[in-house]
Amino acid sequence: MIKEIWSDVVKPILAGLAVTARRLKRDKSTVFYPEEQREQYPRTRWRHVLTRYENGLEKCIGCSLCAGACPARCIYVESAENTDEERYSPGERYAKRYEINMLRCIFCGLCEEACPTGAIVLRKDFELADYHRDDFIYTREMLLEKMPVKSDR
Amino acid sequence: MQTATEQELVTITVNDQEVRVPKGEMIVESVKRIGLDVPIFCYHPRMKPVGMCRMCLVDVGMKQKDGSVRVMPKPQTACTLPATEGLAIYTDTEQIRKDRKGILEFLLVNHPLDCPVCDRGGECPLQNLTLIYGPSTTRFVEEKRHLLKAFPLSKYVQLDLERCIQCGRCVRFTEEISGDGQLAFLFRGALMQPQTYELTDFTSRFSGNTIEVCPVGALTSAEYRFRARPWDLETSPAICTECSNGCSTWFDHRVGEMIRINGRTNEAVNEEWTCDKGKFGHNYLNSPKRLTTPLVRDGESLREAGWAEAYERILAVFKGGGGAVAGLSGGRPSNESLFLWKRLFTERFESPNLDHRWHVHLPGAGETVAGRHGIREVNTPIAAFEGMPAIFFFGGDPAAEQPILYLRVRKAWFRNEAKVIVAAPEPTEADNFAYCVLRYRPGSEAALLGGLTRLLLEKAGGVAGADELRQAVARFTPEETEVVTGVASGALRRAAEAMAEGFATAASRTLYNLPNGADVVTALTNLAISAKSADRFNLFATEANEQGALEIGVLPGAGGLDTRGILEGCRDGGVRALWLLQCDPFERFPNRELARQALENVEFLLVQDIIETESFHHASVVLPCCAFSEDDGSYTNMERRVQRVRRVVAPKGHAKPSWKVFSELELRMTGETPPFSAKEVMGMLGSAAPQYQVSAYDHLEGEGVILPAEGGAAEPRLALPDYDAMEGSRELV
Ligand code: SF4
Ligand code: SF4
Ligand code: SF4
Ligand code: FES
Repeated sequence: MIKEIWSDVVKPILAGLAVTARRLKRDKSTVFYPEEQREQYPRTRWRHVLTRYENGLEKCIGCSLCAGACPARCIYVESAENTDEERYSPGERYAKRYEINMLRCIFCGLCEEACPTGAIVLRKDFELADYHRDDFIYTREMLLEKMPVKSDR
Repeated sequence: MQTATEQELVTITVNDQEVRVPKGEMIVESVKRIGLDVPIFCYHPRMKPVGMCRMCLVDVGMKQKDGSVRVMPKPQTACTLPATEGLAIYTDTEQIRKDRKGILEFLLVNHPLDCPVCDRGGECPLQNLTLIYGPSTTRFVEEKRHLLKAFPLSKYVQLDLERCIQCGRCVRFTEEISGDGQLAFLFRGALMQPQTYELTDFTSRFSGNTIEVCPVGALTSAEYRFRARPWDLETSPAICTECSNGCSTWFDHRVGEMIRINGRTNEAVNEEWTCDKGKFGHNYLNSPKRLTTPLVRDGESLREAGWAEAYERILAVFKGGGGAVAGLSGGRPSNESLFLWKRLFTERFESPNLDHRWHVHLPGAGETVAGRHGIREVNTPIAAFEGMPAIFFFGGDPAAEQPILYLRVRKAWFRNEAKVIVAAPEPTEADNFAYCVLRYRPGSEAALLGGLTRLLLEKAGGVAGADELRQAVARFTPEETEVVTGVASGALRRAAEAMAEGFATAASRTLYNLPNGADVVTALTNLAISAKSADRFNLFATEANEQGALEIGVLPGAGGLDTRGILEGCRDGGVRALWLLQCDPFERFPNRELARQALENVEFLLVQDIIETESFHHASVVLPCCAFSEDDGSYTNMERRVQRVRRVVAPKGHAKPSWKVFSELELRMTGETPPFSAKEVMGMLGSAAPQYQVSAYDHLEGEGVILPAEGGAAEPRLALPDYDAMEGSRELV
């Protein structure tokens, strides 16, 4: 009876613990999210950003090519003409309204691929959860990169 | 209509496949017969070929006696190569592919390639053909040429010279189709550029079409500029309701808003053109002044209300109103709406006071052309003008009143050498191709027609009942006519010469706005009858569905008041409640003062419209209604063609289709099952007005149908109008 308890219960437990003990020596593969965050792969595609040139002008020219390429049809672009008083981007045209519905986005990155100016890019911010559907419509203001800090010229 | 003469056929081979084609047909068209396409830029099926872009190159060979084919060493342009017996065409050889690539490379040398911001991007022939036939990269590393960009040629058309590939389509359009010749090529070679004279305003009434014929983004629309890309848009067929011609259009919309209007091919009406009114005149659809919800008056102000409350107020006044209520409409509601509205008035309210006309003269039943002369007011379809040997434009500027008819008539002259006689008090656009221009003094219309009638009666003779007429016009010898009207007697004789063999009359109902309008219309009809051309007489409507309102009979019933009578009744208290259906008396009625008094004094004013008008401020109840793009229905154009419109975008706010409003009111009054769809209403219209049986929705696809002529062909009757010139016209000498 004792023999059986030894071989059927205690021994396997000890064997299991031995595995655990052996593993303890190895590096940990989990992290204490959210306090700790792991480095992501270079080509990770998460939250979109509308980038700017160094002088602060928007790269986006409101051409809607991203909207045309998007398989989920989740981008909406409305463009308008730049004037000398109100200039947003270098050329004739800029995006007056730019919205992405993050609930529909499948993070395929085709928009990034289609963009002729490299304006829309998918970066690594993946913490996109939110409480209300409406909050998933990312507007131009939310997507635009912060203005670069003005260098003192 | 093209005369269907037997055409000689020849046998050619296309890529070794035999095909029989009419002799002389351009090869670019012939290859389409076997489902092939050669790439083109400058060729346009409706214009003469010029061979400017070289994109359509094909290899050409000749069948030899022994059956072998001798291929020519150099390719030729398919758009300028007529088919002849034994021609062998190769559209897809190694050499041709190389040639096309080369042509495209050359075209792109001078092209800025700013496709991402170009309004043509996505629907651009240059883009498409480059993708199919062109090089994928550029070898051109030098600085590109810099020229005018986004230059406003007019309010509507912008010119970007950098993008122009010098195909000449726009220039040829203004020369061959619209005839104003406002665009021309400046300079030569690489510097060649299409422009208006000294970059002055491009004022053509048809300028918008150049945007569509331009195969690149060199001519773009100022209204559409940067508003959307083609793939953002949904495109639905519609018809234009800006005038009575009823062009077929493409209605491009995005998230429920109209973005732009383009021409849609309808060979029977507009071919593929539209006028600028049609292309750029629809902005009211997106106006912030659109009415979106019923409003009712509480004291000084209007407040929003539900439909039920509005209906209650309306029925409280109109139900059983009889002769004390009245309705005025414009020519813009659909056939279905007008029909139910008329039924509501005549059968439910039992009121005969109904009218849709806003002219100075409002002929009663016996005084219309049909009533007085026994002929129909409209006889000639637009397309039939193409085959008319002589056409008589009378009264106004046809390009302004009937733009698409004007294009057809110009084509009749351009292609078939029709003799066009233009009689108008002011210079018109038709003058430059007119066989003869009769520039009369305003007020002397009847006298001029008298002079012409006299000459034609001499020539034609033998019209029943002509003796009295002959006496009435006897005094208008060409010389006397010259004194009265200011038209040279020689010109009058020349016109009569051209018209003696019969002619088509093209005038519009705006003649009724002349002080002696009724006499002028009678004189005009007499003239047509005198030359045995009553079957080609046309007094066209000018509003989108004015003809429909006439056919359906939105007219005063027995003992009813006409427009003037109704407004006077409102002023004097005889009419207590007035219903305005898509019309604004302030804008429409010739006597503004009377309109003001009427609307201020009438007890109850119901305004049902698309947009806030001036009358709106006097309203007791306001009902919003749908625009043509928001409702199913049909329209009858000036040639009596019924065409279908469909709901393309959702109605604004709480607006409802007018016919639905009328049927809901009927339901409240009678409890009978109302019609549930516009299709059902059309069925009912077919039983009430039998000519509309042909336009049941099942038959109403494509070009639409022309309403059949009712009644037997009665012998046209002459009538005796007052041929005297109006006072004052003689003094104007
Ligand atoms: S990542 Fe893909 S699905 Fe998301 S917006 Fe871009 S194209 Fe659309
Ligand atoms: S993000 Fe790029 S592709 Fe999208 S509209 Fe802007 S410029 Fe065009
Ligand atoms: S503007 Fe357009 S249509 Fe006119 S020549 Fe240039 S490319 Fe051709
Ligand atoms: S299409 Fe033939 S040369 Fe332009």
